[in-house]
Amino acid sequence: MSHLFEHKGADGKGYSQPEPILSVDSLRLPDSMKRSAAPRWPRLSEPEMVRHYTWLSNRNFGIDTGFYPLGSCTMKHNPRVNEVIAQIPGIADLHPLQPEHQIQGLLAIFHEMQEMLAVCSGMDSVTLQPVAGAQGEFTAIRCIQEYFRGRGELGRTKVIVPDSAHGTNPASAAMAGFEIIEIPSREDGRLDLDALRAVVGDDTAAMMITNPSTLGIFEPEVAEAANIVHEAGGQMYYDGANFNAILGRTSPGLMGFDAVHYNLHKTFSQPHGGGGPGSGPIGVRSHLAEFLPGPVVKRRPVMPQDSLTNANNEWWYQWHFPKNSIGKVQQWHGNAGAVVRSWAFYRRFGRELKTMSEHAVLNANYLRHMIHNIAVERGLDHLFCDGAPVDVVKHEFTLSLAPLKEKSGVGAMDIAKGLLDRGYMAPTVYFPLIVPECVMIEPTETESKEVLDLFAERFVDILAEDPEVLHQAPTTTPVRRVDEVYAARNLTLAHPFEEE
Amino acid sequence: MSGTRWGVVGGVAMVDQLPNLGREMEMLSVMGMSSMDDLFSDIPEEVRMDFDLPLRPPQTEEEIIADARHLLGANVALGERVNFLGAGLYRNYVPAAVFQLINRGEFLTAYTPYQPEVSQGMLQAMWEFQTLISELVGLEVSNLSVYDGSTAAAEALTCAVRIHGRKATQKDTIYVSDMLPPARLSVIQNYTQGGGITIKTLAHNSDGSLDLDSLKEAAGSCGIYVEQPNPLGLIDGGLSSVKEIIGENTAFIVGVSVTSLGMVEAPGNYGADIVVGEGQALGSPITYGGPLYGIFACSKAYLRQMPGRIVGRSIDVDGKEAFCLTLSTREQHIRRHRATSNICTNETLIALMGAMHMSLLGPEGLKHLACRNMAATQMAKNKLSEVATIALPHMELFHYNEFVVELPGSASECLNYLESNGLIGGFDLSAWYPGRKNWLLVTCTDQTKPAEIELLAAHLAVWSSSKTQEVVQ
Repeated sequence: MSHLFEHKGADGKGYSQPEPILSVDSLRLPDSMKRSAAPRWPRLSEPEMVRHYTWLSNRNFGIDTGFYPLGSCTMKHNPRVNEVIAQIPGIADLHPLQPEHQIQGLLAIFHEMQEMLAVCSGMDSVTLQPVAGAQGEFTAIRCIQEYFRGRGELGRTKVIVPDSAHGTNPASAAMAGFEIIEIPSREDGRLDLDALRAVVGDDTAAMMITNPSTLGIFEPEVAEAANIVHEAGGQMYYDGANFNAILGRTSPGLMGFDAVHYNLHKTFSQPHGGGGPGSGPIGVRSHLAEFLPGPVVKRRPVMPQDSLTNANNEWWYQWHFPKNSIGKVQQWHGNAGAVVRSWAFYRRFGRELKTMSEHAVLNANYLRHMIHNIAVERGLDHLFCDGAPVDVVKHEFTLSLAPLKEKSGVGAMDIAKGLLDRGYMAPTVYFPLIVPECVMIEPTETESKEVLDLFAERFVDILAEDPEVLHQAPTTTPVRRVDEVYAARNLTLAHPFEEE
Repeated sequence: MSGTRWGVVGGVAMVDQLPNLGREMEMLSVMGMSSMDDLFSDIPEEVRMDFDLPLRPPQTEEEIIADARHLLGANVALGERVNFLGAGLYRNYVPAAVFQLINRGEFLTAYTPYQPEVSQGMLQAMWEFQTLISELVGLEVSNLSVYDGSTAAAEALTCAVRIHGRKATQKDTIYVSDMLPPARLSVIQNYTQGGGITIKTLAHNSDGSLDLDSLKEAAGSCGIYVEQPNPLGLIDGGLSSVKEIIGENTAFIVGVSVTSLGMVEAPGNYGADIVVGEGQALGSPITYGGPLYGIFACSKAYLRQMPGRIVGRSIDVDGKEAFCLTLSTREQHIRRHRATSNICTNETLIALMGAMHMSLLGPEGLKHLACRNMAATQMAKNKLSEVATIALPHMELFHYNEFVVELPGSASECLNYLESNGLIGGFDLSAWYPGRKNWLLVTCTDQTKPAEIELLAAHLAVWSSSKTQEVVQ
């Protein structure tokens, strides 16, 4: 073990700092304001610190470590060129309060990203300000809220979400002050239009849908759902978590949506970083554009008085605050570093983003078929069934391990832990809740056929594994199954100095 | 060479990113399909995109780097100029080891640690981060980051309403400093309006300290939010009596400048219930204002209503020490619309940079860093106070990182003059306080050199005396 707080070296630091430029004696902060006791921070030399974090990294699994089929999370490879670009001083060492003429190159990139996202989603205006998917949802719902307030439709207090929705959908709408109406999915996992018809009305503000749904299947009746909601005077919100499946094949705009968020950390390869940072821009149709958080980037042809740089010999880029903007959701201009990384990713693909999505869907369907085929060959296909019975899935698919659970007591969590022992990250399990013993697999477009073939073999191997072995799994990982109940009952949320 | 290159699409080889390019038919045939279109047969015709994406062709990595250098190289990086711009974000030195270690793929390319057995590295690092923050601010518990300082403040206020809403005599009412930058206030408004929360403001004395008489009005509300140092860099000694005035049932929320806590008292030691702040100055470059990381720490009484992810220490089935996410029932993926916040993706990697920087600093290094920031600020105050044609209001008070300079003309005009001489001279405060056309906010950090301060003083002297003469003429 390496424990940060066990490092108690001599006074001093892991890096040497120059002396203050004015004698400390001259600072004379009164005793009443002075810090009374120093924080009990550890004392590490640089080599100790480097070893500690290297040791920790060895106990962590990333896409770089191995196949990461975590459904709903789009764990694609993160091209390293993105990281190189994000270190250029012209982004890393910029301040958000610098005037426009000092940041024309960055604004050009922002503008290109706004346009690209609008084009891919069939929306009219885009803001890059929200810093995560959930914040994008919240921002778009706030825009819809102000839209209705502006029209005097104050009775629109409800937001409809299917029961298969990501938890952030209802949480974001509730944060904006809406009442949540959850509608059940049909037995086959699809959107239930009758259930929708039964709840829409003049109190409906919006419906929030993910399409492809969290089952990885395309909702064929999405356009009809949009009609139903629009006829009732409501707005349609597209949760872009699964956008990776559809670029160049369809768009939220074509499906009838009014607003959408994008997860740059899913579709556009901003690294997940163990839980963030992300970036969750939103796009809206023109009737919602005046409510977007500000400012957004606009451009005009250059004029003689403009100070020209390499970045703007044709266009002058400027910030623009939408007329009835909801204001800010992050103090500055969002996660600019993530936007620049995603811009590099976009430039790699350009209009071939369509090919990217095709390969994401190809890989998901191929892996689904391989698992089925191998299971049939080995006579194990009775141990699981499809989460949704469809011919083709989109970027991910769900399997229900309920039959296996019934037969041998092995559940989705056991399978997940068994995969960890075989060097894989586990798929998403127990989500969506509507599929019993659900395993949700999303391979992404960046995995080769060989990786998929081997994973399919290993996955089916596990189905035939001795249940006792799986209940004990994992055994090869840095720690074995962690007792979450113990953690909650014996809350230790910081190093217990008093135990020393 | 002749014929088409393998794995080429759109005129560019893409097989490095799409390893199955060129093998589509082989894979499709396994599924009894013959065309990529078959994979999309479930999309109804009326919503299909029947046109090509009107986007540019793909580029190679080398071309992208060249374009990035071309575009980003056209920006003026702070390091290229003599810089006095801060206003909430600070260009402190971040040690090299931080940048080297943060690029380890095991951290960089991991998802949220849902499978603790293979995520012990990040879980332990975030548990240590929680400890570092908790020690820094003097409170019992910390989460593993929210988006930034502004959303941290907003989440703290909604948390206070959830805790005190029922018993408060001023139901659903919170008080915030009337000095807050408008963008920060706007974030707070967006986050609180849904809960029907009323925001009232706290007044300040003419020297910038909190008006403790007017603070009495806030007693019985759900919470108050003030900043230390305040947005103009003033360290306000009066905050130590705030908790006594507002009482037990009103949350005392303090927004801090994280590095200042090397010298300035930790708010937990003067009664703060929740401490939030912008973490950026510890561990992260400014990166045009994002990604940053917001810190959020509180006393145990607020724990169950805290937003965001929390790591707890536990044991595995062999009784070995292990870490996992805990108290998840507060969160959106379990509690859905009744969650304490909608936050899911947060700023873990940037928080990890913070933890790395803090580990290298140690308690003495933090104090040293705070001294350097304050020493630079004090030296700038001393030098600029020698310029007869500008004024430094409340020079005798204590400032950290920044202070106000009152000019004999408009700050925006002054900044243009300074820029023409190669300086980014500070921040024009009329953007925050429209009445203050002549106020310049000057920021100094550990990176500020004496010669730079001399240069600023010299240019301010020239510009301001020309303005003074204009007035005389």
